[in-house]
Amino acid sequence: MPREVGPSLNERQFFQQALKEKIRIDGRNFEDFRQVQLEFGDEYGVSDVRLGKTRVLTKISAEVTTPYPDRPFDGLFTITTALSPMTLPSFSVSGPPSETEILLSRLLEKTIRRSGALDTESLCLLAGKSCFSVRADVHILSADGNLVDAACFGVVSALRHFRRNDISVSGEEVTVYTLREREGVPLSLLHYPLCVTFSFYTPAPGEEEMVLVDATQLEEHTRDGSCTIGMNKHGEVCQIAKLGGAPTDAVMLLQCANVALQHVLKLSKIMDEKLAEDTKKRDKGGMRAELSAENARITE
Amino acid sequence: MATETIVLPGDQLDADTLPSHPTKLLKLGPGLVHIPPNSIIATVAGRLCTDKKKNAVWIEFNAGRYIPASDDLVIATIHHSSTDCYFASISDYASNASLPHLSFEGATRKSRPQLAPGALVYARVTLSNKHMDPEIECVSSTTGKSDGLGPLVGGMLFSISLAMSRRLMLSRPAEQGALVLLDELGTAGVAFEIAVGRNGKVWVDSKSIKTTLAIGKLIQRTDQEGWVVEKQRIMARKVAKET
Repeated sequence: MPREVGPSLNERQFFQQALKEKIRIDGRNFEDFRQVQLEFGDEYGVSDVRLGKTRVLTKISAEVTTPYPDRPFDGLFTITTALSPMTLPSFSVSGPPSETEILLSRLLEKTIRRSGALDTESLCLLAGKSCFSVRADVHILSADGNLVDAACFGVVSALRHFRRNDISVSGEEVTVYTLREREGVPLSLLHYPLCVTFSFYTPAPGEEEMVLVDATQLEEHTRDGSCTIGMNKHGEVCQIAKLGGAPTDAVMLLQCANVALQHVLKLSKIMDEKLAEDTKKRDKGGMRAELSAENARITE
Repeated sequence: MATETIVLPGDQLDADTLPSHPTKLLKLGPGLVHIPPNSIIATVAGRLCTDKKKNAVWIEFNAGRYIPASDDLVIATIHHSSTDCYFASISDYASNASLPHLSFEGATRKSRPQLAPGALVYARVTLSNKHMDPEIECVSSTTGKSDGLGPLVGGMLFSISLAMSRRLMLSRPAEQGALVLLDELGTAGVAFEIAVGRNGKVWVDSKSIKTTLAIGKLIQRTDQEGWVVEKQRIMARKVAKET
């Protein structure tokens, strides 16, 4: 049943009290992310991101279709988010999408699509006739706060991991090769935008405002305002979304942007390392190994 | 050391695994069902336990969702109030349980506890069947005494698995459930108050935020990481030293 059962009064009061004493419930520092784990699937374009207890699975797929008539030189790129009751009972399958769903897809849209992370012109095959349509399906498997950052990380790492079918164009004919005929081609990504979400807490008038990075479910329910900053590792800000909530000092937002850059650098590094690991795992061993006629056999 | 029997749903139990008694009838506990004329089938996956004295057999399992059963003690969160009862949530994915306004110790129409939405209560389940919404009470209907039931003020709520909450509520946790954590904390001199709900929730209150958090974390980690008795003792003493 779609019911948002928030935390009890005791939990809220305990949390406020702990914040005053500068203690975070799970023992982190205020500006620390939870431990990020990134794994790729056997198929290209599948990424599994774990951020504490939040877990997001992203799958990228591509097919050949016709472009929009008003944009004949661009391919199509859509991001869909699926929040099922499997994660939290307050998410319902039927009925209008909940506020969480709308905000999540809007933030992903702004950060990844609108910032031009994926070069849609590179997806065009024949102007006005055929192009690739890339689709990112984000599945939230477990929700313990901060779905936006985890989902953005998942989509970008899956996009980098994905290999689309190779094509060749001769005249008006387009030949699409399967992944077995020709090696897949990576997507053309211009930059890798990541999101960092800040949660604001105004305890009492006269007291200092407190900022937490990467909020858990309880921290999200008790916050007075939040701001999601999307930026890439070069420090270019793609979007800032502060949707309502308590008013925040402008200087505070600038400081948050600096903190966000530090986190984006760390996350980008993790993404690079995991992608390199995955490439090495899939690497068959160079030309000699590829040209070898030896069968893989089970040696005892 | 007796070997443990692990059963899977659908397993039929052999007669030699079941205890026998000259006079008492065999009592079937949770997780077992009797198919007449003489087969006993397990319905959940878990460890088979027997008690010779009571001539009882049951399965210890760790299921995901809490299903209310009568006389269970649970920690409920008040959701809203109507004219004559509160509606409290026992589990996230089931409908609310009803708690009558006067079902508290010494409550009359004029003087009764006013509970706001979000308040926690320690209650006992009175009505639980799969066709109706459950009902809970905060006072014993026979004696009129609360026996520790009622609103919980302050402290912090922690989520644990159903098996852990069952272990915490055993009458002899050290021998029956291999749980010495709370006893160790008590003997080490840590002052705390605790309420365990069968629905996978434990409420802890102590003098400082740090202590409350530390105790709650200890219980959660014993549950999630499967600590043995020795490890529980070591970690409890470590926490006691720091507070």
